[in-house]
Amino acid sequence: MAKAYRLIFDENLCIGCQACNVACRLENDVPEGVYRLQVHVTTQGVFPHLGMHFERRSCVMCDEPPCVSVCPTGASFQSKDGLVHIHESQCITCKYCILACPYHARFINPVKNVVEKCTFCFDSRLSKALDPACVSVCTTEALRFGDVSQENSTVAMLSRKETLLFPKAHLGTKPKVCFIPARKGVKV
Amino acid sequence: MNQIWGSMEQYNTVVWHWPIAVYLFLAGLSAGAIISAIVVKWMKGNDVSPWDGIIKAGAILAPVTIGAGLCLLIFDLTRPLMFWKLLIHYNFGSVMTIGVLALFAYMPVSILFLFGVFKKELAVDGPFKFLAPIADLALNYGKALEAITLVLAVGVGAYTGFLLSAMNSYPLLNTPVLPALFLASGVSAGISANLVVGLLFFTHSTKDANVSYLHGLDVKVIFAELFFIFILFVGMMYQGGATAHAGAAALGTGGLSTLLWVGVIGLGLLLPIGLNFALPHGVKHSHAFVIFNALIVLVGVLALRYYMLYAGQTFVG
Repeated sequence: MAKAYRLIFDENLCIGCQACNVACRLENDVPEGVYRLQVHVTTQGVFPHLGMHFERRSCVMCDEPPCVSVCPTGASFQSKDGLVHIHESQCITCKYCILACPYHARFINPVKNVVEKCTFCFDSRLSKALDPACVSVCTTEALRFGDVSQENSTVAMLSRKETLLFPKAHLGTKPKVCFIPARKGVKV
Repeated sequence: MNQIWGSMEQYNTVVWHWPIAVYLFLAGLSAGAIISAIVVKWMKGNDVSPWDGIIKAGAILAPVTIGAGLCLLIFDLTRPLMFWKLLIHYNFGSVMTIGVLALFAYMPVSILFLFGVFKKELAVDGPFKFLAPIADLALNYGKALEAITLVLAVGVGAYTGFLLSAMNSYPLLNTPVLPALFLASGVSAGISANLVVGLLFFTHSTKDANVSYLHGLDVKVIFAELFFIFILFVGMMYQGGATAHAGAAALGTGGLSTLLWVGVIGLGLLLPIGLNFALPHGVKHSHAFVIFNALIVLVGVLALRYYMLYAGQTFVG
């Protein structure tokens, strides 16, 4: 049966330690200067009423991926589980997908000269029933991953309990990565 | 909001650079050149050899400019030697694939047109004697081939607009008027290039009546372009929110907005219209003026492609 993967990032639990970022770089051999995953940290508000905001930046694994629809060769494709992958040998590196991705999740790997992005660590971990590297190292359990169609999975339970935000939902991309927004709000 | 951790290198950057802008310009020019050449060829008195200089200019410009543009495209790939994969893998939902298929058909018919027009130079006296049957084919089935070419040229001219407008995260590009704007400005560029090449290299065979006709047509197309640009930005304002914000930024921020106002609108659109109305009849119809006018139009169209590509990627609301 097809999976319905979901990755939930809880902004309330994230402390911006970048362990996910580092784990991703090690797992996937990501060269310097490009990112499959990073957590952007910003301060909000005016002193002394300051707050910190954490934002996960990565491929959000759209159910309706613009990168797949624009790809002229089908190198960018969606698996039966809805994950978006890249056939490196079929990719002509026209960069149309990099441009079309509203999340800026794609880049040219400067070492291998191919288009890359987050794969949920499919080859090295997910296909062996392991969580993606970022999820496995998250120190505060701010990252949760699983199959939302399994009623008792953590992500299914969290989805029932929490309000989820889907990034740039107005574009109709239907991401599999979503956020539990910070409850404390922006300080003014 | 203050960024305290995180690289912005991958965000807010231009992904497609100037070679793509030049390609968009050349593709539009190629389509416009062959469209205007065919329109002239179909007029009474122009439909028999010896061909008018304008028709000769279009016959040369169309295949040469699209060929040059495609070379630019290939060299813009991160791995240029992989381009052939594009020819064997298709995704019919992708505008790029549709464009490749249109070009597949457009290249041969534009070369056929070239052989038809230059049969004597290429296939009778020239080095391509073995291609004489091809030239005959182009001449015998002229009307039908030209009709097909016309449709394909409209496809090539418009697809470059759809290529950019298909991406819904760029408010300046994701607008239905873009393909129409690109087609119109491509036709304008094609007319201008035909006039320059016709008047400079085929001076004796270029009839003044055809020059006046195309020059007059160009002014009308320029009015259409101005209106399309107006529609584009007014439409963005009416959509409100981030789109209106991006539109306002694109109209008034930095060097790109200067390029729009001075290069695209001032030099490329308003100056040709202004000169056309202000100058006395004698000057207006001199070859020197027509060539000068055509050159500023060409610069304006190139500026439009450059502006749309860069501003489109920069002002995302």
